[in-house]
Amino acid sequence: MSRYSVCFYKSGYIRYISHLDLLRLFKRSFKRVGIKLKYSQGFNPHPKMSFAQPLSLGYTSSSEYLEFETIDTYPTETIVNKLNSSMPEGLGILSCEELPASGKSLAAMTETADYEIIIPAKNVLNQDISGLIDKYISQNEIMVFKRQKKGGKDIEINIKPLIFDIEGEANENQILITAKLAAGSSSNLSPELVLASFCNFAEIQYDRAQVSIKRTAIHFNN
Amino acid sequence: MTLSIQLDKLLMRVEKPGRYIGGELNTVKKDLSNIRTRFGFAFPDTYEIGMSYLGLQIIYHILNKVDSVYCERIFAPAEDMESLLRAEGLPLFTLETKSPIRDLDILGFTLQYELSYSNIVNMLNLGGIPYKSKDRDASYPFIAAGGPCAFNSEPLAEILDFIMVGDGEEVLPQICEAHKSWKESGSDKETFLRTLAEIDGVYVPKFYTPVYNDDGKIIEIKKNYDKAPDRVEKRILDDLDLAEFPEKTIVPLIEAVHDRAVIEIFRGCTRGCRFCQAGIIYRPVRERTKETIKNMALNQLAETGHEELSLLSLSTSDHSQIEPLVEELMAICKENNVSLSLPSLRLDSFSFKVLQDIQGYKKSGLTFAPEAGSQRLRDVINKTITDDDIYNGMEQAIRLGWTSIKLYFMIGLPTETYEDLDGIVEIAKNITAINYNVTGKRGRFNLSVSVSNFVPKAHTPFQWVPQDTADTFHKKHQYLRDKLKSIKGVSFNYHGTDPSHLEAVFARGDRRLCDTLIKAVELGCKFDGWREHLKYDIWMKAFLETGIDPDFYAHRERSYDEILPWDIIDTGVTKEFLIAENNKSLREEQSSDCRLSCIGCGINSRVECTMEGIK
Repeated sequence: MSRYSVCFYKSGYIRYISHLDLLRLFKRSFKRVGIKLKYSQGFNPHPKMSFAQPLSLGYTSSSEYLEFETIDTYPTETIVNKLNSSMPEGLGILSCEELPASGKSLAAMTETADYEIIIPAKNVLNQDISGLIDKYISQNEIMVFKRQKKGGKDIEINIKPLIFDIEGEANENQILITAKLAAGSSSNLSPELVLASFCNFAEIQYDRAQVSIKRTAIHFNN
Repeated sequence: MTLSIQLDKLLMRVEKPGRYIGGELNTVKKDLSNIRTRFGFAFPDTYEIGMSYLGLQIIYHILNKVDSVYCERIFAPAEDMESLLRAEGLPLFTLETKSPIRDLDILGFTLQYELSYSNIVNMLNLGGIPYKSKDRDASYPFIAAGGPCAFNSEPLAEILDFIMVGDGEEVLPQICEAHKSWKESGSDKETFLRTLAEIDGVYVPKFYTPVYNDDGKIIEIKKNYDKAPDRVEKRILDDLDLAEFPEKTIVPLIEAVHDRAVIEIFRGCTRGCRFCQAGIIYRPVRERTKETIKNMALNQLAETGHEELSLLSLSTSDHSQIEPLVEELMAICKENNVSLSLPSLRLDSFSFKVLQDIQGYKKSGLTFAPEAGSQRLRDVINKTITDDDIYNGMEQAIRLGWTSIKLYFMIGLPTETYEDLDGIVEIAKNITAINYNVTGKRGRFNLSVSVSNFVPKAHTPFQWVPQDTADTFHKKHQYLRDKLKSIKGVSFNYHGTDPSHLEAVFARGDRRLCDTLIKAVELGCKFDGWREHLKYDIWMKAFLETGIDPDFYAHRERSYDEILPWDIIDTGVTKEFLIAENNKSLREEQSSDCRLSCIGCGINSRVECTMEGIK
């Protein structure tokens, strides 16, 4: 029995499939390439496999992580090659690493994630986006409304402690924001809230459907 | 031209964008510059439903094997996507290359269900394609159709350029070959249609004109082109075991209704239920051998990674090798962590043994279709099970621990009386009593009685009979509800009468319904098969505005000598046989399963019946 993690990218149209769809996709990919996963015991066995951090529908990513346990042991490059031979368009395995047989899950170790947010906007070249970002992050607190998972009520929270780094720049027709945000099960900040609160602060008009968001890294503690 | 860029911006704004993206594993990419025939396989419902249909996978595979052909897929967009496409002025597109459907050469709709016709019209509209064949020149795609409802596609006759009747595996590549030559010749549309009319199994409706009497009945069907056949014989694949079957099937990225590997184990059915259209139009029974099925299953599982395997046929238990087949498949599935699903099993001891093995202690519900409540009525419809079969089966199921059982019945069958409905109540009562006798408990047992409304279908022994009126159906629903209410542990469901009525109109409709259909779509009808979308009152308005009486089609008793709109199609089963069967039903006489002996339906004058008299 061995435990591995793979790092993969998600780009193009396939960003429109959900977290659960991606989980099913990987289950089937392992079956196709003949890597036998270890199954959980019990009435309803399922393969031992999970993502470090779910990726919202519509986001692309250059660095997602999936961990899994296999019955047999493989060289890591075999896992990369096998999976890459059977991926649909827009998905690809970048690397594979063997994990200690027992130890914390990647999800439990996830601490922060980096995002790139691109907002199409006309004639923003002259705007000092970088200055606006500085002012935004220099506020004492950044209050936003967030819908609670349980109960569905909107509560107001301060997201400033969850933003570890944020920068912005503009070119002729778009604004690029890069940010390192809290991620993981203990505290997590969606880039949607940063996008909305910054644009509100800077009085930037935007259409959410035109904005693209890419996750560029997930950082773990050890 | 491709719509990729514009489309990309819409996807963030729709529910389930995964429906529209394509790019699934095992989809085919081709260089368009080498393609002579761009074929669109169009499924007139949403992606999740269409991708669960095995016929799509078969045709996609067969057509894309031909170098000069590129088959792409098209589905009906959901309401939110449709509104966006219309608002942005974008046409309906193919999933593979995101091309406007107008750019295709042939657009082939599959006709699975009468209530999907409005989606066909709406999809043409979304593609900027004129509805009627006569309004389209050669710059538009040819609009074609196939599938079970192609056996009476008359309500679509003015829309469709041609219709493929029967098994599609051989005729489709033949049509594409003819299309390639036609395209190279640079001839006009009429020339291509004339060529098609001479291909076996292809029906070109414009070469026939029905003439109607004052009373609305057809007096004659005039032929306008000498070389068109007098009757179009359905295509029959004579050896299913040798037929092409896809192993690298497309694996949907989002969850489809049925997300699994599927092997068709045989085509056709020998049981001869008199209400059943599939039982007639797929004759004769042709099996795949056990070894072929096993190989196909292994290969399909390996190519797709599916976690479930299902067998497809009209009656799984009737495969001549069913016991060893299922045992060997169970072993394959166990080894590969795949679950096996066996629909339409007969409730015999072998089935229970298998179900017990497959489902163990996490039993799903058990579904069983006696179809009619009394022995008399089951004799009428030739459903050859007895009360003893039902009760023995149910007792075994309950002993083995099933606590959720679903029974399917039809109401409105020919000659039905309230005594037959009492039979349904009786069966429900007796099964709950069996449960009490076996388990000593009344709780935790659910018997669901589900009732659908009988729709007489073309080419069946019941093609002449009237459908019950909505009023009669309502009374029968009420009657059953009142009687079943008092039995503890029984729940009762029934289908609405509105869709059953529309289905009956179109199932035996003629060409005059075409304008009604177009009118209904213009007034906003689509997705009629979805309860939440069906706008029955608007449909009634469309009938009124186009001067069509729907009851003429649904509720009128036809005589044996009437010319029926679908007489042009030859299923290989003779009208004499259908008449004899209908007469036998009135005498409450059963006909035997033709595995016991031939009952003379006529199909063996066309092809060999390999399953005849094998028992």
